[in-house]
Amino acid sequence: MNPNRREFLAVAGASVFAGYAGFTGAPPKHHPLNTTSHVSVIRAKSYSDDLVSRILEGVKQCGLDVRGQRVLLKPNLVEFDAKTCINTDVAVVAAALEAFRSLGAAEVGIGEGPGHRRDTYAIAEMTRYRGEVPKFDALFTDLNRDDVSPIQGFADRGEIYLPNTALRADLIVSLAKMKTHHWAGATLSMKNFFGLVPGSIYGWPKNELHQVGIDESIVELNRIFRHTFAIVDGIVGMEGNGPIQGTPKQVGVLVMGSDLPSVDATCCRIMGIDPAKINYLTMAAERGLGVIEEARVEQRGEAIKSVATKFELISEFKQLRLA
Amino acid sequence: MITQRRKDAKVFFAALRLCVKCVLKFPPPPAEYRSVKVPTAAVRLRETQNADGGWGYFPGKQSWLEPTFYASIALAGEPAADRAWTLLKSWQAPDGGWRPSAEVQVPSWSTSLCVRLAQSRGEFGEPFQKGVAWLLSSAGNEAPLWWRLLLKTKLVGESDRDLNYIGWPWKPNCASWVEPTAHAIIALKQAAHGFAKVSSTKLWDRVRTGEAHLMDVRCTDAGWNVGNRAARAQDLVAYPETTAIALLGLQGHKDLDKSLDLAARMARDTISPLARAWLTIALKVYGADVPASTVQTTSSPETMIAALNIIAEDQAEFFRTGATT
Repeated sequence: MNPNRREFLAVAGASVFAGYAGFTGAPPKHHPLNTTSHVSVIRAKSYSDDLVSRILEGVKQCGLDVRGQRVLLKPNLVEFDAKTCINTDVAVVAAALEAFRSLGAAEVGIGEGPGHRRDTYAIAEMTRYRGEVPKFDALFTDLNRDDVSPIQGFADRGEIYLPNTALRADLIVSLAKMKTHHWAGATLSMKNFFGLVPGSIYGWPKNELHQVGIDESIVELNRIFRHTFAIVDGIVGMEGNGPIQGTPKQVGVLVMGSDLPSVDATCCRIMGIDPAKINYLTMAAERGLGVIEEARVEQRGEAIKSVATKFELISEFKQLRLA
Repeated sequence: MITQRRKDAKVFFAALRLCVKCVLKFPPPPAEYRSVKVPTAAVRLRETQNADGGWGYFPGKQSWLEPTFYASIALAGEPAADRAWTLLKSWQAPDGGWRPSAEVQVPSWSTSLCVRLAQSRGEFGEPFQKGVAWLLSSAGNEAPLWWRLLLKTKLVGESDRDLNYIGWPWKPNCASWVEPTAHAIIALKQAAHGFAKVSSTKLWDRVRTGEAHLMDVRCTDAGWNVGNRAARAQDLVAYPETTAIALLGLQGHKDLDKSLDLAARMARDTISPLARAWLTIALKVYGADVPASTVQTTSSPETMIAALNIIAEDQAEFFRTGATT
């Protein structure tokens, strides 16, 4: 093992802080212990498939009603590298936009605050968002530079400033990418909320979240944003040294649900990762943010077995492999 | 003879009257019309200044320090810049650090920008002095002492960076990163020539340590990203905008030829107007040629980019610091 500074911050920070960090915010809305969550796994072989109907099918299976709501689509837009697949594919974003409009949402916007690159619009250009999502600029909010409001209670830091566009949304749809993550194990719909934190205050990268601890920060953000839905782009995911330097992995699925820990746990099983070994998932389950046990997730659409494909894991995370 | 002189004088004054008429009718272009790009951007900036004197990252949004700083440089000498500085001064906290906006009660890396702005305006009073002192007290929280000691035992492997070289964080209680470190170096180098009432030894020590930090986190391609050379032993690539900003912080440093070559290639190839503006500023400050773009830079609604385009065109010298002494 050759730990560098980020590794230290991630591993030591997460383990030390997570151990004693007071849960200073409002008590979480506990997930009733006797209930199950619905997660929909829909096949989509490629980005040229009819993704609108796939998303509508998944939303229907999960019983989501968005009529009259202000919906914010939150893709995973980090940086661009033509050789791999870092970001949520534009086809999924465009399809989600059309799907939620057709479901009667009062307003559907798109928002993201990339964690590495400063010029958000240039990243949106390179990823073809500006070219292929109709009227993208009018719909888009750069969450790194939005107007903000303070929210009391964020791990041991007392408060966190968050973008007003996200705070005012009735529903945030996490349009995540199915990827391995070299510090957290996997990055899916819950980790995607790092993009809600404004760089204008916390910088590029949003190092405050690493100092608090990656796992703790993921759980805290998901505690604050409770009105959520997840659509994970697993049509082509990323394996190996994700979330930036990994290699593309064809899976051919979209995974959806209102219980984000359940969705992420299902994605982990599809990727061949044991969700019980992903710290932020167990923490989220313990704090009542959702369920991750397979028995309590009611699978709709495809069975996990029929779509499961083992993602390559870096040597430091071999122990995460699902038995 | 006299008649001829009278005729000549008549012609001369007629010509003079014509010239005066022409000048009055077609006055010389104001300073902002120096190039094709500048007027549109300057007009846009003037039109989008908020009532409080600041600028938002985007027109119509609340004022933030960063876009207000760049817009006030771009419009230097105009009343708009004075109103901006009045607003920014009101955001300084009692400890000398600057908040990034009226709404945010967190001292910020952007203190560097206000120190630089005060210096450029020749204002070396308390806001400037306290800002310099705040910058000198601000340092990256790289790792606690116990971890550094553990590293020295070599039982836990080696850090990918030299923890003796500490730069500046985005906000207190965070690690050092390239952008805030480079901006702090620029501000302190210029402050050293601007009557900073602090120990020059202390000031230059911090500058040298910050420069060493930047060199330590330089990527293998000779540029800089946010501040990580590698992740899990795999090299990471540099970003154009951070490469440019790091170069501005390292003025006068040796061994930058490869970095400047990379910056020139990046300036040629980037579609980001933000990156193009920063790279133009850096290359001009180093006296290097700025290559023509081989691609069309994308449009952007950002106030800061509009301001940086003006600065890149006409005011790159604002970021000249000279070498570390």
